[in-house]
Amino acid sequence: MNATVLGIESSCDDTAAAVLRGRCILSNVVSSQTNLHAAFGGVVPELAARAHVERLDLCVEEALRRARLTLMEIDAIAVTAGPGLIGGVMAGVMCAKGLAAATGLPLIGVNHLAGHALTPRLTDDVPYPYLMLLVSGGHCQFLRVDGPNGFARLGGTIDDAPGEAFDKVARLLGLDQPGGPAVERTARDGDAGAFAFPRPLLDRAGCDLSFSGLKTAVLRARDLSLVDGALPRSARADICAAFQEAVAATLAEKSRRALALCPEATAFAVAGGVAANAAIRTALEAVGPVPFLAPPLALCTDNGAMIAWAGSELLAMGQRDGMDLAPRPRWPLDPDAAPMLGSGRKGAKA
Amino acid sequence: MTTTVLAFDCSAAHCAAALLSGHRIVGARAETMARGQAERLMPMLAEVLEDAGVGYRDLSAIGVGIGPGNFTGLRIAVAAARGLSLGLGVPAVGITRFEAIHAACSPDPFATQIVSVAAPRDHVYLQRFAGGLPVGAPDHGAPGDCAAALADVALVLGHRAAGLGQGRIQAYPLEEDGPPTGILVAAIARLASRRLADGAPPRPAPLYVRAADAAPARPVPPVR
Repeated sequence: MNATVLGIESSCDDTAAAVLRGRCILSNVVSSQTNLHAAFGGVVPELAARAHVERLDLCVEEALRRARLTLMEIDAIAVTAGPGLIGGVMAGVMCAKGLAAATGLPLIGVNHLAGHALTPRLTDDVPYPYLMLLVSGGHCQFLRVDGPNGFARLGGTIDDAPGEAFDKVARLLGLDQPGGPAVERTARDGDAGAFAFPRPLLDRAGCDLSFSGLKTAVLRARDLSLVDGALPRSARADICAAFQEAVAATLAEKSRRALALCPEATAFAVAGGVAANAAIRTALEAVGPVPFLAPPLALCTDNGAMIAWAGSELLAMGQRDGMDLAPRPRWPLDPDAAPMLGSGRKGAKA
Repeated sequence: MTTTVLAFDCSAAHCAAALLSGHRIVGARAETMARGQAERLMPMLAEVLEDAGVGYRDLSAIGVGIGPGNFTGLRIAVAAARGLSLGLGVPAVGITRFEAIHAACSPDPFATQIVSVAAPRDHVYLQRFAGGLPVGAPDHGAPGDCAAALADVALVLGHRAAGLGQGRIQAYPLEEDGPPTGILVAAIARLASRRLADGAPPRPAPLYVRAADAAPARPVPPVR
């Protein structure tokens, strides 16, 4: 797997492109849309799509420039083809198709979640199978990773993703978006013991998770803490600390259970934006007994390098996609697992 | 050397492409489709090129319809155009639907006129032309609210034109999904080819006219 691969990612609010040669990251460009969505308290899909379409080619150019390569020196183009916000996914797929048609290079559609899930192979060459906890703003699931196309879902959230809960809590408490870093910062001055937030689904066997009740508990705690209609700064810090502690403890306990379901795992790895939270990382580190891996922050959040890596693993397996490659808003990694989210008319989300 | 332009458009319920070589359209395809343009566009482009015996490497430029129209369709076409442009090292030229309709259908191109394009909820997008060129920024609204924009024009051309003209202004109405997409995309190719003479064009971007629907976050209690 020494191919030189361009990876393109645009499934949420980061426009990203990267060039990889083998495991060597030659460039990793991310154009964040955080400022664009800040006023709306969350990612606005239409705004995201509008930004992606005008930034993708610029990111690709910049990634090539930083890698000191031309398209002629690339072996394949990998692109996130789902799941995600469809406007952004479409823009990425169409940009990649344009590049592939123009150059004659192979096109490889990559599942965004596979990109995250295979990152420990890029950073640490972890052998299959391993246990993966994917925690981000849109996703939360435990996967046994058996190969570039082999994923078994052991459990996951039955409602919201933890990243979404962090964003919501930040919103409820008047903190900036994205909520993860803001809540973590505020929690440093707080007392996690000041509020007893629920540890959702710990009373239930298995490793499914739930975060919607926790959000409601935070809302109730906020309203009970108001003094003359205002939230005291100290109470806000306490709520953040207690909320973060509840998420960390729940994820750690469920990780223990997931590892028990997967004794053959060579390692326990975490990826996704929520893995950037230090308190959560610390809690997960203690899970054991297999080695714990958390890729560096820049490779935990959305990026093009993970897509390029997944693309290069798929390329080695012989995958090539046609010019009719379809962008998919929903694309579960484990097609055999029963749908947990969005299991309506349009099928499972992830 | 002959200028060869590959143009395409997905601004409404269609996917269309045309290949211009010099002054001649040497290949074209237009298909009606409400969805699936992301899957169909690139194979269609390959078919148009193959039928004409032209390769991607023979192209001098890409022409792309930037709307206004269906937001998703605009992005599909513009993203592909920018990818092709970067991959081939040739310019991509964005042409508005107003310009294409004006070029293909105006009975009096140099008259001061309004070109209208159907918008959702029975609204229209409007663009003023004078001396054969677009003037000012495009607008949108309900046909009944467009009197000011129409005050001094000689004619109104396009979708819902009869309603806009209200019998006072000479109207050249087009069917809502007209003109035929083949004519429209050929006009995009010709306009793009002509625009190349003006030097390097800016990268194409969708012309949305309407702002994105996005509500600001709900207020939260103050923190003291």
